[in-house]
Amino acid sequence: MDSAKTSPAPVKKKGRWLKKLRENYPFLVMIFPAVLVVFLFNYLPIYGLLIAFQDFMPGDPILGEYTRWVGFDNFTRFFNDVQFWPLMSNTFLLCIFGFIIGFPLPIIVALLLNATKSRRTAKILQTIFNGPHFISLVVMVGMLTLFFGRYGLVNNIIAAIGGERVSYFLQSSAFRPMYILSSNWQDFGWSAIIYVAALSNVDPGQHEAAILDGATRWQRVLHVDLPAIMPMVSVMLIMSIGGLMGVGYEKALLMQTDGNLGVSELIATYVYKQGLTGVPDQAYATAIGLFNSIINVVLLIIANTTSKRFSENSLW
Amino acid sequence: MAEVQLKNIKKVYPFVSGEKKVKKKKADEPEKKKVNLQITNEGVVAVQAFNLDIKDKEFIVLVGPSGCGKSTTLRMVAGLEEISGGELYIDGKLMNDVAPKDRDIAMVFQNYALYPHMSVYDNMAFSLKLSKVPKDEIDKKVREAAEILDITQYLERKPKALSGGQRQRVAIGRAIVRAPKVMLMDEPLSNLDAKLRNEMRAEIIKLRKRIDTTFIYVTHDQTEAMTLGDRIVIMRDGYIQQIGTPQEVFNHPANLFVAGFIGMPVMNFFDANLVREGKQYFVEVDGFKVELSPEKEERLLANDVQSQPVTLGVRPEHTDVTEQGIASKVEVAEMMGSSVHLHLDANGKDVIVIVPTIDMKESYKQGDTVHFSFKGKVAHVFSKETDKNLEF
Amino acid sequence: MLKRKQAEGGPIKLTTGDRAFYMVNTILLALLALIVLYPLYFIIIASFSDPDAVLGGRVILYPVDVTFEGYAKILQRTDVWRGYLNTIIYTILTVILALAVTIPGGWALSRQTIPGKKFLMVYFIIPMFFGGGLIPFYNVMSSLGLINTIWAVILPSILSVWNLFMTRTFFESSIPQGLVEAAKIDGAGEFRIFTMLVLPLSKAIIAVMALYYAIGQWNSYFNAMIFLQNENLYPLQLVLKEILIASESTMGGSGETILEQYRLANQIKYVSVIVSSAPVMMLYPFVQKYFAQGVMIGSLKG
Repeated sequence: MDSAKTSPAPVKKKGRWLKKLRENYPFLVMIFPAVLVVFLFNYLPIYGLLIAFQDFMPGDPILGEYTRWVGFDNFTRFFNDVQFWPLMSNTFLLCIFGFIIGFPLPIIVALLLNATKSRRTAKILQTIFNGPHFISLVVMVGMLTLFFGRYGLVNNIIAAIGGERVSYFLQSSAFRPMYILSSNWQDFGWSAIIYVAALSNVDPGQHEAAILDGATRWQRVLHVDLPAIMPMVSVMLIMSIGGLMGVGYEKALLMQTDGNLGVSELIATYVYKQGLTGVPDQAYATAIGLFNSIINVVLLIIANTTSKRFSENSLW
Repeated sequence: MAEVQLKNIKKVYPFVSGEKKVKKKKADEPEKKKVNLQITNEGVVAVQAFNLDIKDKEFIVLVGPSGCGKSTTLRMVAGLEEISGGELYIDGKLMNDVAPKDRDIAMVFQNYALYPHMSVYDNMAFSLKLSKVPKDEIDKKVREAAEILDITQYLERKPKALSGGQRQRVAIGRAIVRAPKVMLMDEPLSNLDAKLRNEMRAEIIKLRKRIDTTFIYVTHDQTEAMTLGDRIVIMRDGYIQQIGTPQEVFNHPANLFVAGFIGMPVMNFFDANLVREGKQYFVEVDGFKVELSPEKEERLLANDVQSQPVTLGVRPEHTDVTEQGIASKVEVAEMMGSSVHLHLDANGKDVIVIVPTIDMKESYKQGDTVHFSFKGKVAHVFSKETDKNLEF
Repeated sequence: MLKRKQAEGGPIKLTTGDRAFYMVNTILLALLALIVLYPLYFIIIASFSDPDAVLGGRVILYPVDVTFEGYAKILQRTDVWRGYLNTIIYTILTVILALAVTIPGGWALSRQTIPGKKFLMVYFIIPMFFGGGLIPFYNVMSSLGLINTIWAVILPSILSVWNLFMTRTFFESSIPQGLVEAAKIDGAGEFRIFTMLVLPLSKAIIAVMALYYAIGQWNSYFNAMIFLQNENLYPLQLVLKEILIASESTMGGSGETILEQYRLANQIKYVSVIVSSAPVMMLYPFVQKYFAQGVMIGSLKG
């Protein structure tokens, strides 16, 4: 493309380009399936977002003769929905609490693992910690019901020490702790992997120099290990801030009961219910979903710009 | 078995969009590499004005410091790098837009580039298989090449199970089974240790006698260049500095750079005056005056060179310790066996003199005062302005 | 490795402070390991203890009144085994198609000379941060005629852009350019380079990708839930969802009936958790290094 610039005559330029295409067309053949899949399942839905601005009924063409454009009506309707503020705060609070616990935990675990005396123990521990990551959401939530149900293990223990049995799944106050703790139980080890990898790349010489300087192991954690993973930490921070309003609704959906719906109804689960269950209102649901993704993109951009300004690290 | 002609070959790496801006922004930072490469509107110029006619069966060595464009030139001949300008002919056919596989060349890479999942045999047979040579013929050729390179016993092994030297032989074997018109070698010995490098260098000289084809060989090591090349092309910053036989570039370096690059230890340089008296030329250093040899005088005369301040270059092996001459103090005397390398301090200037052990009269101690001088036929005079050898 | 060990104490006598540090470190890690392992252990012992003992809180550290009734019951659940079979089919098809899309795609994207490289990068990056969302996605699937077919579960899962970039990073960092150039000079074209050189050298990334896609499909329920109406097509997770979760919210009435419901359903829940997770969990220790490798490849770029 650019190298064509170097040839003086424009005729030659075209020839070069063609030649390049001829030499490199196999790559286009190889990438084509991926392009097609992404087009079908990622770009066509983006095109489908247009219905958020329409008075759309399922089965209508997206751009048809009778398409009625309603501008931002669906959005204003959502802002005036009685559910608007509860949904916003439910989504936000679940994410922010999840972030407060879920962000530092893997870092701490990685530092702990890195400071074990035996490499083999660390390996075995890592294998154990990574395990729950591969449990499916359905099984995870199933386990929660088994442990926290009215006659589950937790209640059995409470009853044994003389407490009152509680149906945690019917209690709205228990939803967020259960959600967040179980997510962390599943993923803290997995999220620690990249930090562990970054820590294992620290030059042992740095540690030895610090030992000679008289640093204790704790001081080495603070002054050698932690600085080594800081770049990784900021990248992960940007990513998680970008995902702050994009909580996994598949799990929330599984955990919802009539009793906890007041806190467990998130923007995304509301979209699902409005758009695909009962009498579907797809245009409205799409508008809500779009609103949510725009918040996410804006958050990501803000996080990235801030990080860029204050440090070397950014996603782009 | 082919002539190769490079006519005004040029390589420009175009800017990736935005790179220029970044460059400007960080202008005050020290640049990491390719410092001296010319940066134009089109991009970074890696090679330019490269003209060279390589004769059939000639062994050409491209030599120069890293980033001088020697590898880029070789890769343009191979077809791995697009030629930005100029023309490349192999056997009289224009090759600019011909794919590497159709150029009838073979190449030996610096890091061997052996296919790790194939046995030595398959590595060597790969190109023949691709060009659909019959099986028994492939077998014959591979075994022949293995015989030449003495790797027959390793044919079934994977490259991983070989030593560096053996891998290098396989890489060479892979190239020679094709009996290419032109054999390209990109720093093939630079990953080997010193001893193995010397052995392999001798191997390559022998190999060349057996396979008898045109070679283009890239190295940064001037010893390799001097020992292997029929002709040497010395490059710097994308430009050819000098083309010539090893004797020519050693005895008549075209400029200061070539003079400094060829020869070990490095040539001694002095600030001196060139004095013309009629048809005679003298150089004056520190009040010491030497008349140049008649051939040199002739050439200077032909160029009508006038008296002027010059950079004088004399090789350490051409500098003698004498009764008279430039006074200096011994800093270090390195015993090398057949000779002693004297590191001298002549009025704050570092000078190296090689004294053969055989007629050495005394041992040298630090702080000793010695005088050194040189003969008129080994003095090279370079223009202060252009760094060019005034004889050219 | 050896150096490393020295940095962690080695034979040198530790100071009191350091000894305390290592002690706290060990205790914390042991605690974490317990927190991870105990729930899993409990599920296992509960699955073959007497349901009454489990409900009565008598099963804590070891199985009580061992019975394999639950396992016997699950053998009769045709829906579970049909789900199992469906999931296996979906997983195999997903992995095959996903590899066919991801591996060549990653290789092509890792090449500097691919035409339109910049455009392609942007094309694949955008979906990582922005998408159409659930409803437009559903409508696309519907207009493609995929609803209520197995392809609704398989096709959307055959490419994760994240995996594509991971593959690309792998190729960029582990296939030396020199090899490709040598093959070119030896006369191989781009397709041949891919099949004869690149594929044999990328067993690691193929394994990682196969595992990622397999686990993803094995564990997913959502697409199946919204796209499949025919129960005969249900994957395991969807069947499990009904066994494990559906009951809780619908439960009401007096304590007695709840207890009875629990008694009946409880053991089958523990058993089904084990039966469904067994393949993944049994494979896990052997393949976990590949998973970890994958995360590392992905983070090279980060």
